[in-house]
Amino acid sequence: MERSTEQKVDIKIDQRPARTEDIPSIVAMIDIIDDDDAEACDHDFRKHGVDDHWVAFCGSKLVGITGYRLVNNTVGSGWLSWTYVHPEFQRQGIGQSLLTTAINTAKEQSCHQLFVKVSNYIESNGVSTYANAIRLYEKNGFEFILKNPELYDAKEDQLIYRLILSNEDRPEINDEKPNVKFTGIFELVESDGAYTFDWDVKKNPLWGSRSFSKDDLIIGLQAVKEQGGRVVFLTFPSNWPLIHKPLQEAGFKFIGELENYYEPGVDEMHFCHDLGGI
Amino acid sequence: MFPISDDNPTFNRPYATYFLFGLNIAAWLLLQGAGFGTQLDSSVCSYGLIPSELFGGAQIGVCDTRNNLGTLSVISSMFMHGSWMHIAGNMLFLWVFGDNVEDVMGPIKFIVFYLLGGITAAAFQVFSDPSSSIPMVGASGAIGAVMGGYLLLYPKARIKMFIFIFIFFTTFRVPAFVMLGYWIAVQMISAVSVQSATGGVAFWAHIGGFAFGAITIHLFKDKQMIVSHPEYGWNKNTNPADIWKDPQNRK
Repeated sequence: MERSTEQKVDIKIDQRPARTEDIPSIVAMIDIIDDDDAEACDHDFRKHGVDDHWVAFCGSKLVGITGYRLVNNTVGSGWLSWTYVHPEFQRQGIGQSLLTTAINTAKEQSCHQLFVKVSNYIESNGVSTYANAIRLYEKNGFEFILKNPELYDAKEDQLIYRLILSNEDRPEINDEKPNVKFTGIFELVESDGAYTFDWDVKKNPLWGSRSFSKDDLIIGLQAVKEQGGRVVFLTFPSNWPLIHKPLQEAGFKFIGELENYYEPGVDEMHFCHDLGGI
Repeated sequence: MFPISDDNPTFNRPYATYFLFGLNIAAWLLLQGAGFGTQLDSSVCSYGLIPSELFGGAQIGVCDTRNNLGTLSVISSMFMHGSWMHIAGNMLFLWVFGDNVEDVMGPIKFIVFYLLGGITAAAFQVFSDPSSSIPMVGASGAIGAVMGGYLLLYPKARIKMFIFIFIFFTTFRVPAFVMLGYWIAVQMISAVSVQSATGGVAFWAHIGGFAFGAITIHLFKDKQMIVSHPEYGWNKNTNPADIWKDPQNRK
């Protein structure tokens, strides 16, 4: 006989697509679990809306949220969005039900793979805050693929999991040499001291330098240090050959890649710099 | 037998190649009457390079009048052609090879490279027979420079050749060093064996342009633009991302 470890109680849960008027309730629920996330979620929903998100209610009480966003400029990559279940309603199948809806809808929208970011934060009592969430993701086929070390805090990494929804062939892709110029620095959402650089792809010059140099990177790293930053994360497509030499010369380390992120054959490469020697 | 394309990708849109291509076509249509009527002969005499006139010689050969462009005719002659076959052949070669050479230096430097190649080609032809009163026209010298540059940049790139014998035709691919090596060998043999006094192909111009391109291409190429180019050089380019395989460069 199959035994379930989930404690199911006889309550009626309703699920529907999220609406703009749900945002305050969503934020209030997330705030119970993670106030940083609540703030970031509020900002995100007000800026990008709640399309492709679903909420669960127990009566009039909002008890769960999930959804996903397809990534612009990619072919079929999406990120699972804010996925939370009210602490009093966890382990009752609400997260599973919401997640199933999100995954099925993503498939229908030709999403090839879904990624999700999750923290490995350990509470003072030794319990992982997101252990239940990670279990849920793994149960649904998400696999751990990359760790951005100390992204959230000095002792809190960002873990990235991936669910492949359809297998794509990996074709040979031609390299590209866009003219990448850094335009500023900013602290990553939800992090404490982790920065990244803003950059633009400009029109290729008629002559002269095509892309950023080691010196451009050092200027950015120094600016982060002056702002009190701890670490810098950068990501680039794998078919941009001009990025590697200056990144390596400036002391960046390679973390890993999200395969086929931009399109089949083009990964997203992750790099970090702990500001040592800057 | 002539090239019709190559298996050699480009990273950038070849604006200068388009521009030079357009300029040659425009000159052919607007200044040379598309090869029809008397406009062809008069344009060749007006804009062509006449070696004897360049050095102040008074003799007038096939042209009734002197051209008044002086040394500027070195440039103007590069955009003139003698027949439909002449311009079609030159533009085909520019189309096949120009984009890849421009791709390693950018459009501005490519135009400079092209013009200097044409000037060097003209110099070779003029010095091979300074007293010649036959007007010299054609982009062949400048395109020879492009071909010389191409040979040094992409010796192993596959060139698709078109060949026809009577009513039969087919295509096949050869490495650039074979096609361009054959081409320059033919030019050199022809240059020493064919008398140009009666007009015809300016073999010395081809050789001069080709030599200029092969010798100077490494001064014009941009280091960043050749990074990871799949056809650059004799050996397969290493992948720049391989540096991350070193454990010291990994987190």
